[in-house]
Amino acid sequence: MLWHMTDDIAVRAEDLTKFYGTRRGIEGLDLEVRAGEVMGFLGPNCAGKTTTIRLLLDFLRPTCGHATVLGMDPRRDKATLHRHIGYLPGELAFPGRERAADLLRFFADSRSGVAWQTVTGLAERLELDLSRPIHTLSKGNKQKVGLVQAFMHSPALLILDEPTSGLDPLMQQEFLALVREARAAGQTVFMSSHVLAEVQQTADRVAIVRDGRLAAVERVESLGRRAVRTVEIHFDGPVEVAEFAALPGVTDVTVSGPVLRCTVDGRLDPLIKAAARHEVVDLLSTEPDLEETFLSFYYHSEGAGDVPAGT
Amino acid sequence: MSPLVRKTWRDDRRAIIGWAAGIAAFTTVYTSFYASFQGAAQLKDDALPEGMKNFLSIQDMTSGTGYLQATVYGLVGPLLVVMAAIILTVRTIPRPEEDGGIELLMVNPLSRRAFATQRLTATFITVTALAAIPGVLVLAIAPGVGIDVPAANIISASAGLVALACCFLGIAFGVGAATGRRGIALGVTGALAVGTYILRGVSGIVDGGAWLRWLSPFHYFIGTDPLHTGWHPAHLLALAAAGAVGAAVGIVMFDRRDVGV
Repeated sequence: MLWHMTDDIAVRAEDLTKFYGTRRGIEGLDLEVRAGEVMGFLGPNCAGKTTTIRLLLDFLRPTCGHATVLGMDPRRDKATLHRHIGYLPGELAFPGRERAADLLRFFADSRSGVAWQTVTGLAERLELDLSRPIHTLSKGNKQKVGLVQAFMHSPALLILDEPTSGLDPLMQQEFLALVREARAAGQTVFMSSHVLAEVQQTADRVAIVRDGRLAAVERVESLGRRAVRTVEIHFDGPVEVAEFAALPGVTDVTVSGPVLRCTVDGRLDPLIKAAARHEVVDLLSTEPDLEETFLSFYYHSEGAGDVPAGT
Repeated sequence: MSPLVRKTWRDDRRAIIGWAAGIAAFTTVYTSFYASFQGAAQLKDDALPEGMKNFLSIQDMTSGTGYLQATVYGLVGPLLVVMAAIILTVRTIPRPEEDGGIELLMVNPLSRRAFATQRLTATFITVTALAAIPGVLVLAIAPGVGIDVPAANIISASAGLVALACCFLGIAFGVGAATGRRGIALGVTGALAVGTYILRGVSGIVDGGAWLRWLSPFHYFIGTDPLHTGWHPAHLLALAAAGAVGAAVGIVMFDRRDVGV
């Protein structure tokens, strides 16, 4: 084993708390990421995701509480620990104005033992031109440099902050493939996102943070069932609101002539069965939006008066 | 040299080349025009009031020693190397911290202290080399243009220039590593440099103010008149010690704080 773990937990946060003066970053976070799993770390912007990640990497020091990463202390063991961590910052800024290849060579040299073929292999998969100077690259290509850097040394733990931002859909798929391969190789992945869909495809579990606190840890499947969809159905003639309003899980029903709009929490089946009694011209179902998933989740857990504020 | 030290030099290379060219050009022009400026020097010598000459540490512009003292080692020389030292040092930690690049530098498998030490080492070597340029050029040019100052004295004055630069490097590093703020590091160290330069001048012209010069790094560099009197190792050590204390404080403080908040 690369690290001296006492159990199969890759990341353990105990009461992890960080205040910036009086402003809350994260408070009382208790979280375990199991070795070998892909955990999504979800929350709206400014919910405390980046703060948590930066605490794990020892860029920040906790106000109270403690984190253990790969069985080690982030501060005391930083030198050893960072050999086994691949980190992608959420806000990428590259030091220097050199070519992508030179920057990646610096990362390879400082970690030692990284085969240059691994770097070029990753760059080819992500269709990244290494001969271009970093500062001339587009946002998506900069993101690719960040990804190559994080994956190049096959680290035991990948900590990725908003990894798909700036990537086009094709590259997002390539990235998800990289994550699956990492899991297959026994690596642990902890990735933050504010988009449920990208996490849903690869993650085993998700941790949801909101307003600096952990709201829930769920298996991805159960989160999917909770997902709220916005559905719009076009019929060939007018329909009655009453026919749909009472269906289980269906709320916010509005009908304007032949068009029905509603919100569905959970299974779509009852709505589809009811709609099938009419002639359906068109049906639109919007991807479960994380914000809405959050809203429904918070309404359930903390009462209707408590609307999450984006701090 | 470690990858981080090499990376630091690579990222700084434009600035390093610029400062090297500037310092070299300044030294070469001033030193080699000694002969042709003799007449003008005499005029300047007569024109400047005694107090002003004391303030600028000019004794006599007409002798080789006095000319070097007034030009390369008096005002512009120390100003250039101290500016280079401060500006380059601010690039070690505060600048990448403010523009965000420090995160990808710190993923290096190094402890906080090792990280800070390596950044410091890279810039220390750079600044030492830059501050040594005037000495090397004066040594090479002086004999050919009729400046008859003993080589040992040129070397000791030039060593003082290096020690002076390192003193301000250490202070700038301390402030920068402790705060992570470029503006604070530049402001505090720059103000300190200008203030202590003025302090040394003032101490020479104000009655009873002579003791003030001991508070100025510039006194330890040039107050002993090394071009006439040669080596003063204790003074140079004092400059180095001040820089070392600043650097050590910076490393310790950097190890204890949040980075990139």
